[in-house]
Amino acid sequence: MSDSRPTSTAGPDKGRFVIAFALAILSLVVGWDAWRLSGINTYSAVGPGAFPAIISAGLALLALANAVEAVREGAQERPRDEIGPMAWVLGGLIGQIVLLAFGAGFAIATGWLFAATAKGFGRGPVWGHFLAGAVLCFVIYVVFAKGLQLALPAGPLERLI
Amino acid sequence: MKHLVSGALLAAAIAAAPLGAAYAEINELKIIAPAAPGGGWDQTARSIQHVLQSDKLVGNVQVLNVPGAGGTIGLAQFVNSSKGDPNVMIVGGYVMVGAIITNKSPVNLSMVTPIARLTGEYEAIAVPAASPLKSLADLVAALKADPQKVSWAGGSAGGTDHITAGLFTKAIGVDPRKVNYIAFSGGGESLASLLGGKVTVGISSLSEYDAQAKAGKLRILGVSSAARLPEAPDVPTFKEAGVDVEIQNWRMIAAAPGITPAQKQELSQTIEKMVKSKAWTEMLAQKGWANTYLSGEAFDAQLAKDIAATQTILKDIGLAQ
Amino acid sequence: MDTFAALGSGVMVALQPINLLFAFVGVMLGTAVGVLPGIGPALTVALLLPITFKLDPAGSLIMFAGIYYGGMYGGSTASILLNTPGESSSIVTALEGNKMARAGRGGPALATAAIGSFVAGTIATIGLALIAPTVVDIAISFGPEDYFALMVLAFTTVSAAFGSSVTRGLTSLFLGLSLGLIGIDLQSGQARLSFSVPDLLDGVEVTTLAVALFAIGETLSVVAAGARADEIIEPVKGSVFMNREDWKRSWKPWLRGTFLGFPIGAMPAGGAEIPTFLSYALEKRLCKKPGEFGNGAIEGVAGPEAANNAAAAGVLVPLLTLGLPTSATAAIMLAGFQQYGMNPGPLLFATNPDLVWGLIASLFIANGMLLVLNLPLVGLWVRLLAIPRPWLYGGILVFATLGTLGANPSLVELGMLLIFGLLGYVLRRYDYPIAPVVVGLILGPLSEQQLRRALAISVGDPLVLFQSPVALTLYALSALALFGPLLFYILTGRKAPVGADED
Repeated sequence: MSDSRPTSTAGPDKGRFVIAFALAILSLVVGWDAWRLSGINTYSAVGPGAFPAIISAGLALLALANAVEAVREGAQERPRDEIGPMAWVLGGLIGQIVLLAFGAGFAIATGWLFAATAKGFGRGPVWGHFLAGAVLCFVIYVVFAKGLQLALPAGPLERLI
Repeated sequence: MKHLVSGALLAAAIAAAPLGAAYAEINELKIIAPAAPGGGWDQTARSIQHVLQSDKLVGNVQVLNVPGAGGTIGLAQFVNSSKGDPNVMIVGGYVMVGAIITNKSPVNLSMVTPIARLTGEYEAIAVPAASPLKSLADLVAALKADPQKVSWAGGSAGGTDHITAGLFTKAIGVDPRKVNYIAFSGGGESLASLLGGKVTVGISSLSEYDAQAKAGKLRILGVSSAARLPEAPDVPTFKEAGVDVEIQNWRMIAAAPGITPAQKQELSQTIEKMVKSKAWTEMLAQKGWANTYLSGEAFDAQLAKDIAATQTILKDIGLAQ
Repeated sequence: MDTFAALGSGVMVALQPINLLFAFVGVMLGTAVGVLPGIGPALTVALLLPITFKLDPAGSLIMFAGIYYGGMYGGSTASILLNTPGESSSIVTALEGNKMARAGRGGPALATAAIGSFVAGTIATIGLALIAPTVVDIAISFGPEDYFALMVLAFTTVSAAFGSSVTRGLTSLFLGLSLGLIGIDLQSGQARLSFSVPDLLDGVEVTTLAVALFAIGETLSVVAAGARADEIIEPVKGSVFMNREDWKRSWKPWLRGTFLGFPIGAMPAGGAEIPTFLSYALEKRLCKKPGEFGNGAIEGVAGPEAANNAAAAGVLVPLLTLGLPTSATAAIMLAGFQQYGMNPGPLLFATNPDLVWGLIASLFIANGMLLVLNLPLVGLWVRLLAIPRPWLYGGILVFATLGTLGANPSLVELGMLLIFGLLGYVLRRYDYPIAPVVVGLILGPLSEQQLRRALAISVGDPLVLFQSPVALTLYALSALALFGPLLFYILTGRKAPVGADED
């Protein structure tokens, strides 16, 4: 709490404005879905659209409340976030999904996730970590497949066993 | 090492396959269980795996779980990725028939090659022991008087329990849309609400109510089978009470789309051998599953009939257009 | 007296060397899978069923009992050390437990969780053995309207306990409620907010959301902070074990957690999450140093952990007395019973007494074994935090995705992990509390379904909600939770110790 507790300066808080805006959009989406559901004839006393309608209204009110607080509390100075390291971690997660989608298998995809995360935290080399991660994940794969009979996504490496 | 050998054998088998049927023994089989580990379809798949391997009908069997959306996610993956592949099969069941319709699934069971129905369960209607409803006739009278006053506890909306309740109501000439159906997410929860007398009747597979009935806590009014069942000889069928409804919550195994008739023949034979094996009989007894094996054209016809009937009743209940 | 004789012979069954071995294998396996988010005891037992069916029934049921309790231990260890809640019932443990671990108090956190679990598990198992039939009669009498009132109580106490800003807390809660809408509506069979994506039809998995918000969101925040957050995590500061004050602050929460967890766990629709929420809220209320909540208060680990384990024993009450499986794990245990040709249901105690009592006895033994195995390991476990950060966080992400993939090998599920991870990062960046999102996802659908069930049974008459004495009592408690601090303020003229005070 303490390190990120921002200090207040002039002007509205842009970040929270964006959040308020996002809440308003979410409220519209949920509300639209509620409206669509209310058109469907079901037998039950309270239909599937009732709760979405309430939640949509709540979200709309919260969008308003967040916008008001953004103005009242003023702009906040938040420490800058470092984009580079974050990109590595996100690249690791996205890369894992892409590699799995292309059938690279659990060991390779998750080895990459490990290497990219380590790199994001400033530890290289990516290749060494990738190899270590892939070996570790291969062992995990074997334990799961043999010990638990649970099939994790298989790729060229996993098909060797 | 064993797998390397079986892999090599597989390669040899593939190479040898065109030479003659004698060599076309199945060495490797992947069974997709379109449900999370532990559910009925998963247990069916793993039982098949166990028997096929222990009786050496197939060299190596793997079960792959692809859960989600009443089995339609697994079905879609199966239809899309295993066309013409004779080494992949999928387990499914009656629940899938309904899920395909209510989820507006882009794939359906006409896109796979059904091999055989393996096991099945019948639906039962039960009331708490203290209920004033003593027989199916009482239930029919209550439904005719005011269908809204009769609350039914069962599984999720649009599932087998709901469909059976709809069919029952329709068969006695009451609008199935008026069924006051209360969906519960688990068997335990719906059973608890029935035992606690919170709902009028419960509808579920017979096995869920059997033990409670034996202990005198519930009274089973009727079952959805064609004839009385050996495990509950005192319980009348719906038909005996003049309600023309017969439904079985079955489980089946199907092969990939686009396989050759010879491949289909071979898979059918393997499954038939399995069903006739001692290990399978023991497995069914252990799990308390009834053997309702049906294959070939008889199964195809039954499947088509079930799909058509389900389509109609789901429309009548208001769950499908 | 019969009960004790039966339990005694049960202990004899469970103490046979071979059964002790089964229990040992079970607790080890359970702990291992409990650590993994998404993979829990239910899945493990399900996967082991076909393998074990040739084994002796007593042995394998004893092993399943070990897996069941071991899973709870593993879940809390992962929550405390890695901030990746392994099970949905250990989400609350992560709130204070991980803060403690980061402050070098991981040892006491793990110890209070382990001892609390042991105490709660033992008391609850005694309850299971002695008063199960009475408890189950009460539990069965709960109707949907009573459950709805219980959810209202959970909502009010929990929302009063999370966060300092009402707007921010409610924003998080409503995000969770919105996520809870996704998927097929149980009562009507209609798909909501699924946008024709079949993978969304089953809704958002609680562990997926929790792991994404907690572990991945946190990893992103830490890596984004770069050098700024380069504080060194001290694995141990002070004693590894609990000191006098820790004991003093833990024992009451253990007991209170047990008395919340056991009865709610025994209710067919109670679950293990709600008692942990209630326990957290209660401990925050009763704590003499409420300021520590949010920064690593030991009460916030001791209470929910006890509640979670007591609920796990509570779930066995309807299972053993009535054959009602009210959780995924219970359903699988039931399948285990059936596999051995046992009649699951009200007659189980009568038809298979040695097995049931053997199982209950093995629960005691599994519990004791877990304590004996885990306490010496606490010192080793906390060393995990000494791993250099690049490897620690790399490992956390591997664990998080492994659990998700193991339970459901779907790329959509991994995509959700990523998106919710980003959500967790944004919420942290702008000081929105994380926990209410998960609370909303769990409680939203539960309360909606119970309300609609109640109204459907009464054919739309809302009065049914206020006719049961149980429901009225629960509403009164909710009102007390909401307005209690205000009342306290008015009566004493002092500021309430904790309240929904706006900044």
